[in-house]
Amino acid sequence: MDILAQLVVSGITVGMIYAVIAFGYQLTFATSETLNFGQGEALMVGALVGLTTINFLIGLNLGTLSAYLLMLPVIMAFGLLQGSIVEFLGVRKAIAIKSEAGWIMATIAIGIIIKNLAENIWGRDALKFPSPLAEASLQIGPVRIQPMEIAIVVGALLLMLAVELFNRRSIYGKAVVATANDRDAAGLMGINTKSVITFSYALSSMAAAFAGVLVAPITLTGASMGAVLGLKAFAVAIIGGLSSGIGLIVGGLILGITENLTGYYISSGYKDVPGLVLLLLVLSLKPSGLFGKATIKKV
Amino acid sequence: MNKWIVGAAAMAALWTGAANAQDVKIGVSGPFTGGSASMGVSMRDGVKLAVDEINKAGGVLGGKKIVLIERDDEAKNELGVQIAQELINKEQVSATVGFINTGVSLASQRFYQEAEIPVINNVSTGTLIAKQFLPPDHKANYIFRTSANDAIQSGMIAQEAITRQGFKKPAILADSTNYGQLGREDLTKALAAMDVKPVAVEKFNIGDTDMTAQVLKAKEAGADVILTYAIGPELAQIANAMAKLGWKVPMIGSWTLSMATFIDTAGANGDGAMMPQVFIQLPTTPKRKAFIEAYQAAYKVDRMPSPVSAAQGYDSIYLLAAAINQAKSAEGKKIREALENLQTKVEGIVTTYDKPFSATDHEAITANIPVFGLVKGGRVVPAHPEDLEGDTALRIKPKS
Repeated sequence: MDILAQLVVSGITVGMIYAVIAFGYQLTFATSETLNFGQGEALMVGALVGLTTINFLIGLNLGTLSAYLLMLPVIMAFGLLQGSIVEFLGVRKAIAIKSEAGWIMATIAIGIIIKNLAENIWGRDALKFPSPLAEASLQIGPVRIQPMEIAIVVGALLLMLAVELFNRRSIYGKAVVATANDRDAAGLMGINTKSVITFSYALSSMAAAFAGVLVAPITLTGASMGAVLGLKAFAVAIIGGLSSGIGLIVGGLILGITENLTGYYISSGYKDVPGLVLLLLVLSLKPSGLFGKATIKKV
Repeated sequence: MNKWIVGAAAMAALWTGAANAQDVKIGVSGPFTGGSASMGVSMRDGVKLAVDEINKAGGVLGGKKIVLIERDDEAKNELGVQIAQELINKEQVSATVGFINTGVSLASQRFYQEAEIPVINNVSTGTLIAKQFLPPDHKANYIFRTSANDAIQSGMIAQEAITRQGFKKPAILADSTNYGQLGREDLTKALAAMDVKPVAVEKFNIGDTDMTAQVLKAKEAGADVILTYAIGPELAQIANAMAKLGWKVPMIGSWTLSMATFIDTAGANGDGAMMPQVFIQLPTTPKRKAFIEAYQAAYKVDRMPSPVSAAQGYDSIYLLAAAINQAKSAEGKKIREALENLQTKVEGIVTTYDKPFSATDHEAITANIPVFGLVKGGRVVPAHPEDLEGDTALRIKPKS
């Protein structure tokens, strides 16, 4: 029982990271029905910029925790900028000419360029990210957990909640929701849907950069850290459904927990298999995802 | 005006230096960027140090300089193959040293074998490497090695854990690459020879962020020691996962536990990890003292990124130089014959090489040479200091 609890708790941590990245996929899909396939790279470059920033701040004799908190707005601003650039370079043209696949190749290409840039700036070694919280783990009931793991779960939920609140309460957010509901009608109502789409890309990369600095202290930072996470999050987005916020969290938790349970109870060699089987099952039985709304595409 | 003349002369010297047909060209292939770069760069630095010393002392073949042709294989098999072809056909090297990754070795070295140009693997550890082209199946084997192969390392790991330290229930944690899985096989074999069956055998992928399941399984199986075959970052994840679960048993594993990426990222959690080392950065012999000081002065570092790679790289060049001098030729076939029957004793960093190779045995390192290193306070120190005291400091391959 204790073991099960430990595995589930560790699975939740990983799952919440997947969910935040998948949340980024959802943001852009809602407004433009396109995705940033360089989401993993957005996470990676966010984490590396975060690493440089936090080391700079620690160099100014700040404590690790305050340096970490000061670093957060910097990397979020960086994420916003990076996302806007991806949209401007890779997606805008493709949407304008109603290209079905142009944005796929373009976002993948930008992702590869970002990775190569990162390799040249930060090198290819995995680097240690200073942990803002104590690294010793806490004993809570039968479970041992690192303070940073709690911070990951809380941080991930807070970020998603903040973006959701912004979208529902603020006038800008309402423009986002309106564009998500019906892009043409929103355009006719005087909403600048082009900038809304740019904004959703900016938010999406911001979420990825945030996920990057959340996960960095418990793993390592490096140019290759994004590929696997971006792919797993994509699976989560498919499992949970690209139109449902709750779906992403549930999807993330399902994937994170099944990975850990399989690793322990079946074999660590098959750790990644059940998640992918689940992905195939969802795709064949309920293509819009477990929580997604089926949409009818009118041609 | 004078400046210009001196500059032009220097340029001309460089130019002829690079293209002089009188020089002996030696290829260096290794990953100088990427995850294995600390090993590749240390190897290259050791190689350069040896070449500088030899050239300053008059070169080889009565006054010819050794010129290195360095290429970054990025630990990629296909790039290694391209580089092998370039070094053989375009640069026409007399011999090549290097290779950090077993996969790159196995993919590249057959081109040298076909071209009859000797290769000294100075870091790769895959057991197959020096046995791939053994006579009588092949006319002659052009592949040599100056590192401790995986069969030696896994045997030592089993010996240390079971016999010397008396552990009864080992768990094996290995990554899913060729390196990890071949090492796991060697380890299981070595344990089976002692009638010990591992209580858990776990696997993980490069880049895995969470090792809880694997470590928990070893813990629940009652493991009293963890034996590893993986590389730096994932080894650090194992040490960190153990600390997270509040469980501490010794980690004993292949020499990669001495990688800077393990020591630096695991921090205090990595203290106490043990691994076979042919060289530890300590001045236990005068030759080692001089080497460490020269390395520190040349590359302005205190801690060598990978002392083992540097020492093995340095030694591989001295062996090659001795063979070229003995062969009185820079021709691949003659160098190979000389390496197999080396008349001069070569005093190296790792050991003193007294007839290190024969026609059938291309492994310079035997099981008696490596000692166990221990991670302590961010450095590798001898696990059993008595192993490196007095007469035991210099360990020499037994005569066959």
